[in-house]
Amino acid sequence: MQATSRTEEQQRISKEFAFPGDVQSLAQSRQAMMDFLAPYCSGEAEEIDLFLTLQEALANAILHGCGNDPSKTIHCRVEIDPSAVEITIRDPGPGFDPYNATQSTDDGTNLTPHGRGICLMRSLMDEVTYRRGGTELHLRKLRATRT
Amino acid sequence: MLRIEVHALPHAATLRCIGRIVLGVECEILRCVAEGRTEANLILDLAQVRAMDAAGLGLLVELHINASGRGQALRIVGASRPVCALMAITSLHSVLNVSDCEEGELDPGGTGSCFAGRYMTA
Repeated sequence: MQATSRTEEQQRISKEFAFPGDVQSLAQSRQAMMDFLAPYCSGEAEEIDLFLTLQEALANAILHGCGNDPSKTIHCRVEIDPSAVEITIRDPGPGFDPYNATQSTDDGTNLTPHGRGICLMRSLMDEVTYRRGGTELHLRKLRATRT
Repeated sequence: MLRIEVHALPHAATLRCIGRIVLGVECEILRCVAEGRTEANLILDLAQVRAMDAAGLGLLVELHINASGRGQALRIVGASRPVCALMAITSLHSVLNVSDCEEGELDPGGTGSCFAGRYMTA
């Protein structure tokens, strides 16, 4: 389900998405959001940052929020204005504590196979915020000036 | 998509990875291929890996831990720029054995490697 709206000033663009909550849908879901975002990226670097961020955000929503269950749904919203790109991703899961989830991997000394997705998002985005008990992820990336 | 080319030496195997190492079938095939090698030295050639995510990084950590448990030396060579960048962000470059090397360094007898197989995702 997708809906697009434009403000009267036509400076803010938003689009909503709904994806199945399984790993097999991840690439297609990510691509759908990138197809919307790519034309507004200032360059390849910004596009790559958003690509990687969406990969991690959707992977976490699928694995932890939906339990890799295609019958569950992830809801996403993308908002673009001249100053920033904002992405909100909501999953139907039980939530979690983002601080405890990354504490052991933030300094890179703990050889655990998990927990680096949030670390990556924090390095690629200007803001990474979890709300509603960890079931809603809010991402914000300031837009560079187009050259 | 991920393609893995296996080159075997008497005491080492090189897994040349081509494509993406990301969550899903790509990680699974690399896990299966790597865990199935019994050589004393296991080399992951990531020069042609154009994309990796946190799941891929976690797999490298998992393979490192499991290799150590088996007394196997795991080395990562030729990490591509995207992979290097991710390792730097997550500080993994300092805890995994990451370097550039030639296969000949592990084959002093100069017997050469033999192509041992190719694996590919859809």
